[in-house]
Amino acid sequence: MARSVWKGPFVDGYLLNKADASRASGRNEVIRIWSRRSTILPHFVGLTFGVYNGHKFLPVQVTENMVGHKFGEFSPTRTFTGHSSDKKARRG
Amino acid sequence: MARIAGVNIPTNKRVVIGLTYIFGIGSAKAEQICQQLSIPAERRVNELSDDDVLKIRELIDREFRVEGDLRRELAMNIKRLMDLGCYRGLRHRRGLPVRGQRTHTNARTRKGKAVAIAGKKKVTR
Repeated sequence: MARSVWKGPFVDGYLLNKADASRASGRNEVIRIWSRRSTILPHFVGLTFGVYNGHKFLPVQVTENMVGHKFGEFSPTRTFTGHSSDKKARRG
Repeated sequence: MARIAGVNIPTNKRVVIGLTYIFGIGSAKAEQICQQLSIPAERRVNELSDDDVLKIRELIDREFRVEGDLRRELAMNIKRLMDLGCYRGLRHRRGLPVRGQRTHTNARTRKGKAVAIAGKKKVTR
């Protein structure tokens, strides 16, 4: 079920502070965040976030299209590269 | 023979049924259309007057997105996800289920027909 509208989008509050701080500093640095559950707000467009995937901080450049998605959607947590083909089959 | 919304030519079925042959119009919308134009449920497509056909065509043009437009919209939505690089887009690219279903077994609709693993030994007894 979708989230109620009256609650507004879910965002961890400290992200707003971090974003503002980064804006104020003027340098376009990667903002490291762990909060994959937070919604991307229009406020964040243009900033670069390093979204933690349990291993690394993957840089995510926020564009207008991303608004409304969650940060976690842009930082995959699993690496599956496919099954290696069977050794015997390759030899034969 | 009636052409409504492009290429669709529903036959001598009831109007409510015939309209569902249009991509983007199911039974709910078909019923809604018939009610709005007060077409009786028993009326067949080949019994419709030209005037009624015109009215149906106009109503669909005005209110609903059907056929090519709808297909394009769907494709655009998927393309947006794929270009965005989000998880759902990745799943679309890979041709795997998008909404968190299991892939250990099943998921054949998305994955296509099962492919035999080369060189796997058959169990013999």
